[in-house]
Amino acid sequence: MTSTAQELHPAPTLEPGRTILELNGLEKRYPGTHALKPVHLAFKAGEIHAIVGENGAGKSTLIKLLTGVMPRTSGEVIWEGKAEALATPYEAMALGINAVHQEVVLCRHLTVAANMFLGEEESRFGLLQQRAMVKDAQKIIDGLGFDLPAHVVLGDLTIGQQQLIAAARATVRGTKFLIFDEPTAYLTRKEADQLFKLIRRLKGEGVTIIYISHRMEEVFELADRVSVLRDGTLVGTRNITETDEAELVKLMINRSIEQIYHKEHFTPGATIVETKNLSGKGFENVSVTVRAGEIVGLYGLIGAGRSEFVTTLYGRHRKSAGQILWQGKEVQVNSEHDAIRLGMALAPESRRDQGLCLNLPVGMNLNLPIYKRISSNFLISGAKEKAEADRQIADLRIKTPTRHALASSLSGGNQQKIVIGKWLAHGAKLFIFDEPTVGVDVGTKAEIYRLFSTLLSKGAGIILISSYLPEVYELADALHVFRRGKLVATHGFRTASHEDILGQALAEKQEKSGGQI
Amino acid sequence: MSTEAIPAERSKRNFNALFGLTLLGLLLLMWIVLAFATPSFATTLNITNLLRQGSLIAILAVGQTFVIITGGIDLSVGAVVGFTTVIVALLINAGWPIWAAVLATLLVGVAIGLFHGFGIVKMGLPPFIITLATMTSLRGIGLLMTNGNSISINSDPFQAFSRGSLLGIPYLFWMVILVAIPSYVFLHHTRWGRYLFSVGSNAEAARLSGVNVPRTIFMAYILSGLLAAIVGVLLASRIGIGNPTQGDTYELQAIASSVIGGTSLFGAIGSVHGPLIGSFILSTINNGANLLNVNTFWQRVITGLLIIVIVYFDGLRRRGK
Repeated sequence: MTSTAQELHPAPTLEPGRTILELNGLEKRYPGTHALKPVHLAFKAGEIHAIVGENGAGKSTLIKLLTGVMPRTSGEVIWEGKAEALATPYEAMALGINAVHQEVVLCRHLTVAANMFLGEEESRFGLLQQRAMVKDAQKIIDGLGFDLPAHVVLGDLTIGQQQLIAAARATVRGTKFLIFDEPTAYLTRKEADQLFKLIRRLKGEGVTIIYISHRMEEVFELADRVSVLRDGTLVGTRNITETDEAELVKLMINRSIEQIYHKEHFTPGATIVETKNLSGKGFENVSVTVRAGEIVGLYGLIGAGRSEFVTTLYGRHRKSAGQILWQGKEVQVNSEHDAIRLGMALAPESRRDQGLCLNLPVGMNLNLPIYKRISSNFLISGAKEKAEADRQIADLRIKTPTRHALASSLSGGNQQKIVIGKWLAHGAKLFIFDEPTVGVDVGTKAEIYRLFSTLLSKGAGIILISSYLPEVYELADALHVFRRGKLVATHGFRTASHEDILGQALAEKQEKSGGQI
Repeated sequence: MSTEAIPAERSKRNFNALFGLTLLGLLLLMWIVLAFATPSFATTLNITNLLRQGSLIAILAVGQTFVIITGGIDLSVGAVVGFTTVIVALLINAGWPIWAAVLATLLVGVAIGLFHGFGIVKMGLPPFIITLATMTSLRGIGLLMTNGNSISINSDPFQAFSRGSLLGIPYLFWMVILVAIPSYVFLHHTRWGRYLFSVGSNAEAARLSGVNVPRTIFMAYILSGLLAAIVGVLLASRIGIGNPTQGDTYELQAIASSVIGGTSLFGAIGSVHGPLIGSFILSTINNGANLLNVNTFWQRVITGLLIIVIVYFDGLRRRGK
């Protein structure tokens, strides 16, 4: 019963370089949309094959077809020279095809070990061998170089750590073909590095990897080949050494890269909010000023105190010391309600958990903060409700059939537009964006950044939290670097180098952790 | 006035309307079949009786639906009905004017709802638990207050209300209309109605959007308690006694009516008209089964089967979207 990582992970039988999986005119139609137009593509054993494309380009559809989650409309899937139906997830897993999804699909209430062995528990005489499973799971995790305990409840880990567990889980089931869907969306750089190490190791063992990401630098760091999807069509496959970012972006969106980080400079106006030595749970002594017309970037690793700082500013948590000045006057923000009344708006990090009412219509989601304004006496004005929703949908170019469509039916990028868009009509003065472009494609990113400019031009100020340095670097007028709950450095627009900022955020292990946070 | 039917997209809205019609069609079909199958169904006496029977559960089902839309459940409504029959009986017998006795009884219902809100919001108890606790406790308190006896109400005008009718329609059914119209406007045309849906869909997102989630939850349970107290008063009027064991299993009938009417127990999906029709479908089954001399034990079985069938088809409809 004490199986090791090696035993759980039999080496794939194919030698590298041979075709393991071939798509022959693979196609998917939904009623009304042609999600994937016939795709011809061959994956070689032991290659890392990146797939890039905007949201809605067909990447998710392709994955769902390959993992048996959905049936295809037509075409063939040839696995190791044999046509396969791939009609159910079970069938795909039996062949050795596994996927690690962007949003962790594991059981949050079970332990790490229980999740690792979910569906293939070790048992003896019908009884679970819990201790053995924890031991084995720990061995696997250690073997992968992840510094994570196997006995804790999964939900107690950060989203990034959970993602690593999901990846580890996918490697222990005789996987020959592993699909990563935006795996680093929620990872810190360190966690991402661990994941990359794991991916390279799997490649070394002959596993074929499909790697889907919006982050170009990752694609160039990892992939051997890259395929580009646009509007359901495979528009090209390149060897990574024979292409560059500009070409890929152009293939993806027909738009040049300079147009993505759209930065307009406005003359800063009056101070909107100022914190003086604000302290709270997870951060201390943070003094930040946001003026009208400027973007204040907060950069740092996850857990560095950025999110804790803004949620305290937003009234979610109590401050322990310091002051918040709103337009020059000291205010007490004791609840989100207070914050919203002052004129703050928060677009939270996890849109599924915090940002959206998924099973309610788009229009209702957009209008939620302003129902008070569009009601007269007790009744909601139907005309205003319709007008506001339709205006946001048009302004933000939210792709939805009507405002009555459920938020859950929209793509991730469009959902994010709702999360941001619902504050536009509200007329907030200070917008706080916590990781606004996680899991969002280049085209939508550009639209979101353009949205920032619109807000700024209307005299609003923005706090932008991001773990993605180029984003804050290219957009922030003032860039604050957080490390372990403290504001350690402040830069102007593009006044410091990437390396300096990264160094300040990490500061390596020189100073011993004082048990803070 | 808003024309938003929620939660629904346009095609689904037609579906919803269709579903409402299907239910209404089912109800009418049952009536037509019963009218031909039994000589006594289509009589004025029986129809008014049916309307009276269905009215009480219909009002409870509306309150229950508010709660279920927020993702909660109110198991206490049957017990509140029993308890409030006792309160109103005691007050009337103590010489209070009817209007004051009724008003005080309704306030008791509001207080019970407040208590539920307090348990859920302030104490962090699951709705199932706190309302389960009141469900048993209220019956106990009622029995303590009455020593287990029924209290006869010494007021003819009070009892006359439930027997009276206007335009040939019993007052009890007018009460349903009186409750249903404001409820409909509240749920579908005011921001508080929207907030109920948003809390049931994603309380965290609602909170971050500025919705006062605790207040919304309080509101749902207060409305449910208030409507249960109204039903308690009506029931006391109808049977002329206060008895804490009255209204047994009313909570389950209310939940069943709500679910038959298309309310999702996961929250964020529901309407006012659905549960109303649902409750009259249930009453018609009971009424019809009585007239057809179907063993009353079978009535329960049929009701259970019907819930499964209707909710199953509802699920198919949703997935088929």
